[in-house]
Amino acid sequence: MNEIIGIIIAAVISWLNFVLIDTWMGLPEAPGVKGAEVIGRGIQKRGGDLAGGFFQGNIVCSPDASAGTLLAAIGCFAIGIPEGGFVAAILVFFGNRICADPGYAGTTGALTITVIIAATSYIGLTPEMFIAGMMIAILTIQGLHHPSSSKLLGKIAKKMGRYTEIK
Amino acid sequence: MIYIVYIIAIVSAMVLGLILKLPLLPEQPIRKSWTTSVVFPTAVLALGFTAMVSKLGYLTSTNMDYLIALAIGVLTAIFSKYMLERFLPPQNSEESSDESQEASP
Repeated sequence: MNEIIGIIIAAVISWLNFVLIDTWMGLPEAPGVKGAEVIGRGIQKRGGDLAGGFFQGNIVCSPDASAGTLLAAIGCFAIGIPEGGFVAAILVFFGNRICADPGYAGTTGALTITVIIAATSYIGLTPEMFIAGMMIAILTIQGLHHPSSSKLLGKIAKKMGRYTEIK
Repeated sequence: MIYIVYIIAIVSAMVLGLILKLPLLPEQPIRKSWTTSVVFPTAVLALGFTAMVSKLGYLTSTNMDYLIALAIGVLTAIFSKYMLERFLPPQNSEESSDESQEASP
């Protein structure tokens, strides 16, 4: 498969994987640590959405499905499919527990992307495409415009019933 | 063959976890629960430890691999039951740990 097309497809898959799993696991509902709350309130002050801000704060402060997706892709690239993803899942779990997080989002994200990488390898997508794709996916959330991305994350949280009750 | 090794490790970890009276699933809502259960994280740990042992070259593609997988499952269940919460204690929030520090003399 053409490398550029592969990276674009991998970016879309990675974006859906980590945003949907993180939202499902309740990242927009409440900040896990004080740092996540500070980030959420900061984004709200700049015109963003509070639930989306909590989501962004939480993925900065502990390895959630975003880190799980990236580390599983790196693991698959470095030591093979699917072992790399399984090793990444266990490392993300330990990282979660160190960061005051129960670890469901990170390990679920790592395991689902491992299954996706294994399945899409049959149509020519490689782990390195997923590494590049995940970098682009996380850039759209954390690197371009926080107020806009937080509003989008807030809308997704509302649709999935995970919107924050904190005012 | 490698898939059978994974299955043996996961199933043995889950069975021993149940024998050691770990709950099958964390309490509801699962996404906020810190309870160590059979499905999470015991099965996930068994999967990861087996992948590590496999990639470190300890699996030899002989019947010995099944015994190694069984040992990984047993050790994982014991680790989950007796050691996980000692190494990585549950932390509900930073606020609660701050409060406990303030309360202590």
